[in-house]
Amino acid sequence: MINIYAALEIGTSKTVLAIGEAPTGQKLKLSCWAEIPSSGVRKSQILDISQAAQSVRSVIREIEKKQLAKGDSITIGNAFLVVNGQHIKADPFQGSVPIARRTVSSEDIEEVQQSATTMPLPRDRERLDIVERAYSIDDFGGVADPKGMAGRILKLDTFHIHAEANRINDARTAAGEAHLELRDPLFAVTCAADAVLDETEKRDGCMVIDCGGGSTGWAIYSDNGLVATGVIGVGGDHITNDIATAFQTTQAQAEDLKTREASAIVGATGEDASPRVHLAGFSTMMDQRTISRHALNTVVNSRCREIVDILREALEEADMQHRLHSGIILTGGGAAMRGLNELLKRELGANVRFGVPNIGGLEDENHTERFAAISGALLYAHRNYEQKSFLQTLFGGFRK
Amino acid sequence: MSEKSSTMLLMGVGGAGCRIARRIVELFNGPIKTLLVDTDDKSFDNSDSPCLLLGGERLSGRGAGGEIVSARMAAEDSMGALDKNLAGIRLACIVTGLGGGTGSGATYEIAKHLKQKLGIACIVFATRPFSFEGEARHRNSRGMIPMIAEVASASFFQQLDKLAQNIDNMEQAMAKAIETLAASVTLFWRLIEKPGYIRLDSEKMRKLVQGAGRGRFASVTFADSDRARKCVDALSDSRLLSDGTNNVKSMLCGVLAGDDLRLSEIAQIAQGVQIAYGTNSDFELATVNDEESFSGTLSVVLMLFENSPKETLVAEKPARGSRKTRSGKNALAASPQGRGRFNNSAPTIWRGEDLDIPTYLRQNIILDF
Repeated sequence: MINIYAALEIGTSKTVLAIGEAPTGQKLKLSCWAEIPSSGVRKSQILDISQAAQSVRSVIREIEKKQLAKGDSITIGNAFLVVNGQHIKADPFQGSVPIARRTVSSEDIEEVQQSATTMPLPRDRERLDIVERAYSIDDFGGVADPKGMAGRILKLDTFHIHAEANRINDARTAAGEAHLELRDPLFAVTCAADAVLDETEKRDGCMVIDCGGGSTGWAIYSDNGLVATGVIGVGGDHITNDIATAFQTTQAQAEDLKTREASAIVGATGEDASPRVHLAGFSTMMDQRTISRHALNTVVNSRCREIVDILREALEEADMQHRLHSGIILTGGGAAMRGLNELLKRELGANVRFGVPNIGGLEDENHTERFAAISGALLYAHRNYEQKSFLQTLFGGFRK
Repeated sequence: MSEKSSTMLLMGVGGAGCRIARRIVELFNGPIKTLLVDTDDKSFDNSDSPCLLLGGERLSGRGAGGEIVSARMAAEDSMGALDKNLAGIRLACIVTGLGGGTGSGATYEIAKHLKQKLGIACIVFATRPFSFEGEARHRNSRGMIPMIAEVASASFFQQLDKLAQNIDNMEQAMAKAIETLAASVTLFWRLIEKPGYIRLDSEKMRKLVQGAGRGRFASVTFADSDRARKCVDALSDSRLLSDGTNNVKSMLCGVLAGDDLRLSEIAQIAQGVQIAYGTNSDFELATVNDEESFSGTLSVVLMLFENSPKETLVAEKPARGSRKTRSGKNALAASPQGRGRFNNSAPTIWRGEDLDIPTYLRQNIILDF
């Protein structure tokens, strides 16, 4: 039996649909994916349902075409939704139970897990995930597995990650118009972290930075648990907009400059690089137009440094600024911004690497860090399917 | 004062700017150091003033086609040639018309170059398009006003409708607007070049306008016996001086007349305009006694500024790529235009700042274009 899952991300820059396949008992493989430029989305939020629906329709058609080209036919009935945006919050919550016997039993653990799910949320919020951080017994914290340990009260610290319900419903509406049912909404940043981190990194301390078009998210791990996570509504689109404003270009020209020429570090390019940068896409009269590379990089650097300041503040709040022993892991499409890894290294004093999703099927792709979140969503689906095999509805699609 | 020794330069930038500058030269009827600057060589036809064609090979003297970017690049190309015309200049007055390419784009580049690279104080007198002109011209104008205001020492943006009040014929309205602005700038020029008992020379003017920011500007002239009161009344009611706010931090009042100028008239005017536009503002007065030009008439030039020059005097030449040391926000950063594609999005606020506005604007980072 082959399990098939689908995951959808309606991002600010791109709408991505990915299919994961795993024969029972085997590792998940990303078998097919399609991405198209998004419409009607800004800062990770849908502003125009019909345009977003059109993007979803297009990406479904694209993936069906790709499958047909491979001699396969697939109908995608439902998909897990990858959610991002500044409206997403993570609040700590502690569940606790008195230990019925002198040592912690499996029943005690189930009970405290249940207790930890009871954090009330306002009506306008929808819970995306409950992330377990650590157990504690009485005042003894940081317990990984409390089973068999002695004490009076068992506690479980969790993070409840929740989002604006209306934003999720907008995505459901847009997908619904494209005849795609959406299953669990999943937080992009923790999905990305799940896809690219190993247990050692989570134990030793690291920070995953998910660089999106409309937002930048982070998740800080230490001692095998999530320490802090958050999203700020600033991303690659802001860099593009800054360039367009500074040099009076169109957004498309600015995007081209950003990806082709710009660097997050001023003066980072080699000595052979021209001090002037050609601007593409002008009329004949303007074919000669160039701009200063120094000025271009200054614009990008100022924005990136500001984002780094926000990340530094997040690290300081979590008291993790000097404890990233496993460094910083960059994911998302914006991670490809030239010089960003070097800037982070300089500013935050930690090693930086790109996050490669721990999923098959991407061996021939470059910049696989951009698939981190959607890969994490597929891994989540697979993990939950294997644990709950009776839930056939978890399947994202079925073969004809 | 001879043209040769003057440290002031009048620059007409763009088609409208050149027309206004040429008219000022005619009205002044004396030596004015002038430079006409445009991307279209037709603006220089039959001109006795020095001319600078921007864009050279890029545009071949055909104009910028309404493209701000073309004009900015053309100006960038021609800065070397511009510098050759600026020997000894300490104060430059640019007259221009916003809405087209050169007036909007080149003015910005030139003002920035003068002030930031050469340390020349720069006053911009600009017209804004008539309200009925197309959206493209208004967009050009709206987009460049905060940018020009940011780089100029002082700047005035007058709507053509207000300059050409009550004239329905298009050609006449344009001529009237140019005439009104040219007359006002000519009076301003006389105020500096022909100082009277209360002097305002170019060096003092230079200090006054540095960091003065955006301003409003009008002039009036009356000839009969009650001329001082009429001047005050006209200035108090002037549409050119009214923008719906009382944000006046400083004002400059110039009184120009012949030998018959009376002290009581000066006092009446000084008191009247302060009552009209703010008794708490910094007030600077200057007079001109020029029987040849003003016999029997009384003219008043009034400039209102939103900043106080005494608070904002700064070094004019920050290091390349460095952050400005001046306190206060970049004008574009504080405007909706600064948010660009995020103009209709809910703002992302961090530490009280709207992160949708480009960082380099909020942090006042000067870009070396």
